[in-house]
Amino acid sequence: MMRADGEADRGAQPQRVWLFAVIGVLALVVLAVAYVQWRQYKLLDTASHYQNDALGWSFSQLETEQLRLRSELQRYLADPQHQGADKVQLRYDIFVSRIGLVDHPRAAGIMQDQSAYQPAMAQVRAFIKQADIVLGQPPTEALNAVNGQQLMVQLEALNVPLHDLSLGASHLLYQRATERNAAVRQQSELGVALTVFQVVLLLVLAFIVLRQLRTLTERRRSLEALAESLGVARHDAEAANRAKSAFLANMSHEIRTPFHGMLGMMSLLQDSRLTPKQSVYLDTARESAHHLLAILNDILDISQLESGKLQVAPQTIDLMQLLNQVDALMRAQAMAKGLVLRIDVAPDVPRWVRADPTRVRQILFNLLSNALKFTSAGEVMLSVADGGAGRIDFKVIDSGVGMDDATQARLFQRFMQGDERPSRRTSGTGLGLQISRDLARLMGGDITVQSTLGRGSTFTVSLPLMSTSAPIQASDAGAATATTHTRPLRVLVAEDHAVNRAYLEAVLEKLGHHGVFVGDGHGAVLAVQTQPPDQAFDVVLMDLHMPDMDGFTAARTIREMPAPQGRVPIVALTADAFQASRELAREAGMEGFLTKPAHLPQLREALQRYGTGSASTLPEPVAPPAADAAATASMLDMATVNDVMQALTGPRYAELLGRFFDERATTVAALRQAVATASQAELRSRAHSLKGASASLGLRALSGAAQHLQTSVVGPHPDELEPLLDRLEEAFELSRAECRTTGLLAGTP
Amino acid sequence: MDTSRSTGRPWLSTAGALLIAALLHAPALALDAPKGPVILSVTGALTHPNDNGAASFDMALLATLPQRSFSTKTPWFPQPRKFTGVLVRDLLDAVGSKAGIARAIALNDYRADMPTDELIKNDAMIAYLLDDQPMPVREKGPLVIIFPFSDRPELRNAVHYSRAVWQLRSLELR
Repeated sequence: MMRADGEADRGAQPQRVWLFAVIGVLALVVLAVAYVQWRQYKLLDTASHYQNDALGWSFSQLETEQLRLRSELQRYLADPQHQGADKVQLRYDIFVSRIGLVDHPRAAGIMQDQSAYQPAMAQVRAFIKQADIVLGQPPTEALNAVNGQQLMVQLEALNVPLHDLSLGASHLLYQRATERNAAVRQQSELGVALTVFQVVLLLVLAFIVLRQLRTLTERRRSLEALAESLGVARHDAEAANRAKSAFLANMSHEIRTPFHGMLGMMSLLQDSRLTPKQSVYLDTARESAHHLLAILNDILDISQLESGKLQVAPQTIDLMQLLNQVDALMRAQAMAKGLVLRIDVAPDVPRWVRADPTRVRQILFNLLSNALKFTSAGEVMLSVADGGAGRIDFKVIDSGVGMDDATQARLFQRFMQGDERPSRRTSGTGLGLQISRDLARLMGGDITVQSTLGRGSTFTVSLPLMSTSAPIQASDAGAATATTHTRPLRVLVAEDHAVNRAYLEAVLEKLGHHGVFVGDGHGAVLAVQTQPPDQAFDVVLMDLHMPDMDGFTAARTIREMPAPQGRVPIVALTADAFQASRELAREAGMEGFLTKPAHLPQLREALQRYGTGSASTLPEPVAPPAADAAATASMLDMATVNDVMQALTGPRYAELLGRFFDERATTVAALRQAVATASQAELRSRAHSLKGASASLGLRALSGAAQHLQTSVVGPHPDELEPLLDRLEEAFELSRAECRTTGLLAGTP
Repeated sequence: MDTSRSTGRPWLSTAGALLIAALLHAPALALDAPKGPVILSVTGALTHPNDNGAASFDMALLATLPQRSFSTKTPWFPQPRKFTGVLVRDLLDAVGSKAGIARAIALNDYRADMPTDELIKNDAMIAYLLDDQPMPVREKGPLVIIFPFSDRPELRNAVHYSRAVWQLRSLELR
């Protein structure tokens, strides 16, 4: 195409030169024709030629008048009385009047070739000089026979010269007329020739213009064709891309479904009798499966983002609660790597905002886990501040490896990771950052990065989160309890940890419900099976991870029972908030899902919804009071602590705390025993249980340490678990100390 | 309504104007007889003769007709010259002629026939003064038929030059 254009340009250059040349010549020819026309016009200019043409007539008239004067003079001389002098006078005057027409410089110029002209004129002038003596104005002497005779002689002497002049003038004028005609003919011929030339040039011009037009038309046509084919190609490409995205989305979804089945089966397998080795294999398989599931979720997200299917659904959310959730989830990961995770919220950040909580959480998880992933020592900080112009800036600051400019430039590209080395220490799809940024942009915000190699990175998420007022129901949890409470429910609680059981008992009591407590899945199944018809359970709260029979299995077993036992609503209760757990719980037949620590409002809402069958009157989860900056650095989650204290009253909370801490030696000993005997299932179960109980009591650091231990069961050699146990024990002591100093726990150390 | 009155008035005034015009032209109806030497005799189709069926003019009688003058270039003089005299139109009115052709005859018996409507249209003049001086026969006088060649380029051709008769003696109207 480019080469064709170049050729066309090179071809157009001489063509244009030709065009201008033809037009120039044409203009010259038109000028020449105009000049010829003008010459002809001058040639035919009658005013200037009339006299020349009339010269012959004038000479002939002069001769005639001379003859008439002569005959009048003869008549006078022949008459003895000399009558008719006045007639002679008149003829003479007329004769003289004709002389002026032939005796002047122009006539002389015309007659210059006639040698007879000048002498003849001199002769005429001499005659008049003589004649004026008797016939002049006035005469000096009167006309008489004598001077009349003398005049007669002189007059007759003019006969021959005047006749010759008359003839000569006639011939000369014929010659002149012939010459003029020849000139006119010649100029006419020239005019015709020029006109013909002009016509030829016009034809050439027309030809060039036509060719130019044809070239233009052809080029336009080829451009149109090209544009059309490009349009078709683009359309095809877009269609193909859409099809690919749709395929990807479908496939991810299709893969996920059997995957969940697989995870469920593995979970069941875990509960069966396994040798320690098999147990390790199974755990590895489960970790791999979870990782794979995360990748699948990423791919599903990206394909949905790409095909425009993913939409954000803003709602009124409690930003502080959201940050607490993020903190709770991330803290364990940070602790696992021995990192400090700090969440710093500026005082001017509004608590209630309009946002899609799932997506905001997703972005923060992503950035925080990245930061944790690439930081081996130091701290990771999430700083939340008002970004101005209705925006809130979330800054994730790490002290990790950092990035150079080139890495930053391709950071947000798909499938890219900061560390491109084959021996990279991190894993992942490389989609996380792109998803995060796409989500941020979908919400009207953006993500930017500042980083220096070796000095850590700062990712800034700037989101336009509109500040809004708190939901009305959230203002007073106590009041809400009164209004939403309908009737006392019979609640079956399957929970293996004593502290959690005590906590839930207190909460249920406060809500005015009646609780029945069992310690594992078997107990739950048995309780449902044997419930008296008049005292049927309204709802079951099922901890998912319990020894002997876990929550999934228990739920499935209950669902296999006939109605009404098999139809009892079951709400899952778990310390992990994995989407996978949620999916598995649903597959096992559980309607609701609550994450520990289960706060009073959520519990109330879940019981309301599932226990009474009525729709929820609370569109938003009600959050605990915001954690202040000081609390985030402490061992305790003050939001939860406040919440629990509100639910149970201070003394009961203190009592629960006391029981929990009293058992600490036993708990830690059991964990150490499990490590020593390499009983991974036992260890995990105990760690999980501890995590749930401590989270319920608001002992955040301890809960994190327990979770770290739980997730680290697979993989590390038993020796590596020892430091974790030490840290857990330390967290125990520190938490207890803090509870005492803050007055939560009575008594002396 | 007074429309009848207002429409009546213009008719009345037009009629009055015509009457006055007719009265003013009345002296032209009767041509005086020439007292001096006759310099122009008009013969043929005319209604106001003063000399045995012809209209004869001496200088004084010509001077009673409306006088006109203009300057024009001619083929016979190098410079434009001023001509003074009587328009052929006024002369024809004076003699009461509606003739179609006028034959001009010169002292040397030169003759030229010309349509009177063209003479009228082209403001042909019978001049007797050249640069305010009478023209003797030696200077192509005493009368010359002249056209305003300078003002009207369309007259600058051989036909009209040939109609510019010098030493005009008489006009025959047919």
